[in-house]
Amino acid sequence: MKKFIIFLTSFFALLVSPVFAGGHGVTKVALVPGGPHPYFAAWEQAGLDAVEDFGLGKADYRVPAEWDLSQQNELIESLVGQGYNAVLVFPGDAVGTNKILGELDDAGIPTAALAGCVEQPTQAKFCFGTDTGHSAYLGTKELIKALGGKGKIAHFTGFLVDPNTTLRINAVEQAVSEAGGGVEIIQVIADIDAYEPADEKINAFMAAQGSEVDGIVTTAWVPAVVAAQALTNMGDKRIKMVGIDHDEVVLKAIKDGYVHGTMLQNPYGQGYIGSYVMDKVRQGCEFKADAPWKSTAQTDQFIDSGTVFVDISDVDTYVMAMRGISLEILETFDSTYLNCPS
Amino acid sequence: MSALLKKDWFGLGLVLIFGSILISLFKPAFISPFNLYVLMLSVSLMLVVAMSQMIIIAIGQMNLSVGAIGGLVAISFTGLMEVYSMSILPAVLIGLLIGLACGFINGYITVKTGISAFIITLATLYIFKGMNLGITEAQPFYEIPEAVKFFGNAKIFGPIPYLVIIPIIITVLMWILMNRTSLGRYMLAYGNNVQSSELIGISSTKIVIYAHVISGLLAAIGGMLVVCRLQLGTPNIGDSWLLPSFAAPVIGGAILAGGKVDVIATAFGVILVSIISQALVIFKIDPFFVQIFLGFMILLAVFINRYREYREERRTKVFSDE
Amino acid sequence: MNNKIPNFVKTNQFGLLILVIVFICIFSFSTDGFTSRFNIYALSRVVALDIMIGLAMMVVILTGGLNLSLGALGVSAAMFGGWCMESMGIPISITIILVLAFGSFLGWINGFVTVRTGVHSFIVTLATMSIYFGFMTLLTEAEAFRKLPEAFTDFGSLKLFNKYISPLLIISVLTCFVLYYIFKYTDIGRKLIAAGANPDAAELSGISVDRMFIYCHMLSGFLAALAGIMLTARIGAAIPSMAGHLGFDWLLPAFLAPVLGGTLLSGGKVTVFGTMLGAILVTLINNGLYLIDVGEFWVRFFLGIILLGAVLLDRAREYFTVKNSIVS
Repeated sequence: MKKFIIFLTSFFALLVSPVFAGGHGVTKVALVPGGPHPYFAAWEQAGLDAVEDFGLGKADYRVPAEWDLSQQNELIESLVGQGYNAVLVFPGDAVGTNKILGELDDAGIPTAALAGCVEQPTQAKFCFGTDTGHSAYLGTKELIKALGGKGKIAHFTGFLVDPNTTLRINAVEQAVSEAGGGVEIIQVIADIDAYEPADEKINAFMAAQGSEVDGIVTTAWVPAVVAAQALTNMGDKRIKMVGIDHDEVVLKAIKDGYVHGTMLQNPYGQGYIGSYVMDKVRQGCEFKADAPWKSTAQTDQFIDSGTVFVDISDVDTYVMAMRGISLEILETFDSTYLNCPS
Repeated sequence: MSALLKKDWFGLGLVLIFGSILISLFKPAFISPFNLYVLMLSVSLMLVVAMSQMIIIAIGQMNLSVGAIGGLVAISFTGLMEVYSMSILPAVLIGLLIGLACGFINGYITVKTGISAFIITLATLYIFKGMNLGITEAQPFYEIPEAVKFFGNAKIFGPIPYLVIIPIIITVLMWILMNRTSLGRYMLAYGNNVQSSELIGISSTKIVIYAHVISGLLAAIGGMLVVCRLQLGTPNIGDSWLLPSFAAPVIGGAILAGGKVDVIATAFGVILVSIISQALVIFKIDPFFVQIFLGFMILLAVFINRYREYREERRTKVFSDE
Repeated sequence: MNNKIPNFVKTNQFGLLILVIVFICIFSFSTDGFTSRFNIYALSRVVALDIMIGLAMMVVILTGGLNLSLGALGVSAAMFGGWCMESMGIPISITIILVLAFGSFLGWINGFVTVRTGVHSFIVTLATMSIYFGFMTLLTEAEAFRKLPEAFTDFGSLKLFNKYISPLLIISVLTCFVLYYIFKYTDIGRKLIAAGANPDAAELSGISVDRMFIYCHMLSGFLAALAGIMLTARIGAAIPSMAGHLGFDWLLPAFLAPVLGGTLLSGGKVTVFGTMLGAILVTLINNGLYLIDVGEFWVRFFLGIILLGAVLLDRAREYFTVKNSIVS
């Protein structure tokens, strides 16, 4: 029975021989996030703009149906059949995604990690995004500054099985230890990447420790939203909080003064510049041997897409600030990183 | 007194009282007004979800799509208000209607095809959640009217939130339904033994469809209450409902084979689960331990229940389902 | 007249096979990439894993129970394997044996607790899911094992049959045949089915139902561990998150394959090849939906519709054959 199916599929395979765009021709980029998530929404427009501005064939935002490594792998595998010849991916897993990237590379399809990195060794050409550990470190630094160098802080973060979570916990600890003895982490709450449990646990924390804690740092999307909402609901402006990302709830809480600030990332720039670079790579550009890569805990081929701390003074203008950073990276990208055939 | 001892909720009630006293001895913050408020909030939300599952357990089935219905209603409710600037009341009504329709679909297909509800609701879980993602493209709705936010956030007096009103009404209605109406009795009879209830002349079609419609309605209410609480309509609402929805009724002594549920014990089960997850935060349990701890707590609750049942069985020697 | 229809045609497997062929035809003609070597190879790997996961669930469904801890158990076993190979330097073959034994042991815990307490396995495995997964994250601190022997990881990317098929699929298909043999032709297999079908009658005829149920859970643990090893070979590393939070990502394929394959949730019936076809069908549809480009956000919706359709069709087929046999 099984053999029959194999036979059948092979038979069709011979009938409809697949047409792959080879090493040249039009670049068709797929921008693949880890799953359905509002963070990546800007990639869609970024891809469309890149098509228009750089004359790519396609730069489509393709979302796995679920936030799940194997779903993402299945989507990426299916992209090859659809004629995409360059893939930008937010790794479903910093290690686990490497295998599929290697296979794409074998099939002549260049890939890169976008927004988050894969761990080396990897076949991904580069990682363009936010250094998650560093972002958590900077956010904690900002919080400590706002606290005047002393106080008790709590850290809310995402799934423990996500290796990024460990990076973030360590980064927050490092920032705290550098602050001397004045700052103390009184509690780390993890595994709250869904709204209802996050709401329950964060509010329980506020009830138990709300009077003791001076600052909160959140290093994942959902905890940031829920904690910002909790502080707004309580009307508490004493506790300083530094969030992450650009959810409207967090931004509004900053404007209203309930949240001190947030660590913003640059999803639009990631999608826009990422698509551009993939086109260059496909045209035969090589990365310079002496390219000024940055190093992170995961990779030494990292390009920072920009992460900025935003507080009440610039929360309204951050979009322009991010555009500025993106253009800056784009302008110097060729001369800084690439050797292109003339 | 001995009649009281036999009730499922009695032992749980004792555990709750002693547990709470014990926790508040170690951590007085536990009985602070704000903590009680937080506790009531989380209990309120889970109570509705647990009831939604409980009524399906009563007829001996499972509803895997509870969270998916809740999520779909939540984003429809907020979407109608944000995109079509609908006022609150019609949005609530349409939300209830969607929940009703989803429940009806589950019940109708289950009963007409005779396929296990587990399978049907597994498929509709995909369908409802898929519609949710298709409509929202994973983007939350943020424009929530002030009245809705107020309802999710304000207190009636002391630590008592407005949000608790609807779940309490629902619990009372469910108690009346299961204990004082013939429909409730028929549902339990159906859950106990499909054939015999067929014999006494109840239309099993009606029973199953009613149960699923009520389940859908409750899931819809749960979804909208979460919106009030979170003050945003995110597509993820309902994703985490599945396990707690089963845990509470089962801790409350429900038998998955059907025919036996206890509304009050289910409510106590909800409170127990909420207190435990709060206690984990209050006692600052290492996050790496939390998962293990929860697992052992479920096992322990089940052992206690089972032991009680076992002793009762030996005393009365009546037929038990397991 | 009815006699002319061979028995096989009346089975659930036949209906599934037709569906599989129909979908293969649809996707082959309506999309470019479906029959590409890359896609078929990728499919063969996904199918391999889904079959194994489906079988692991199937053997517990046989008892009328469920195993929610499947994913957590598989990942725990895989992490144990990673630790054996990377930290302890144990050779691959011995590691595999150890991992399978470890998986069986975790399965034994599920079975033992279920049988001894008489609590439904749904609840027991709900608890052990948290416990296994919790211990795994605690012990590994969510660190992956990624320096595995090359011979092991290379196996996961090996390509057979003119580079169309992954060896993982061969393992899964072989497992199907072994299980089929066990359930159909061995004494123990028949006892397992008898215990699941009617525990009281089985007990009366001298079968220790409790022991049989524990065997089923052990077999489930064994197969889940095997799936864990296969996934490790496929990814090239043992990663705590490889089956999602609490191993949840495995649960849907685990239910879908046996259920589509005609395994009864009330227990007492196994369909090994039905489960295999069920896994193939789900993987095909998922893959095809991505290729057809329905818009990714709608993939789950259409998957649900098609699943519902498949189950209803199967019901119609059953109804039709029953009516037919009554007529004759």
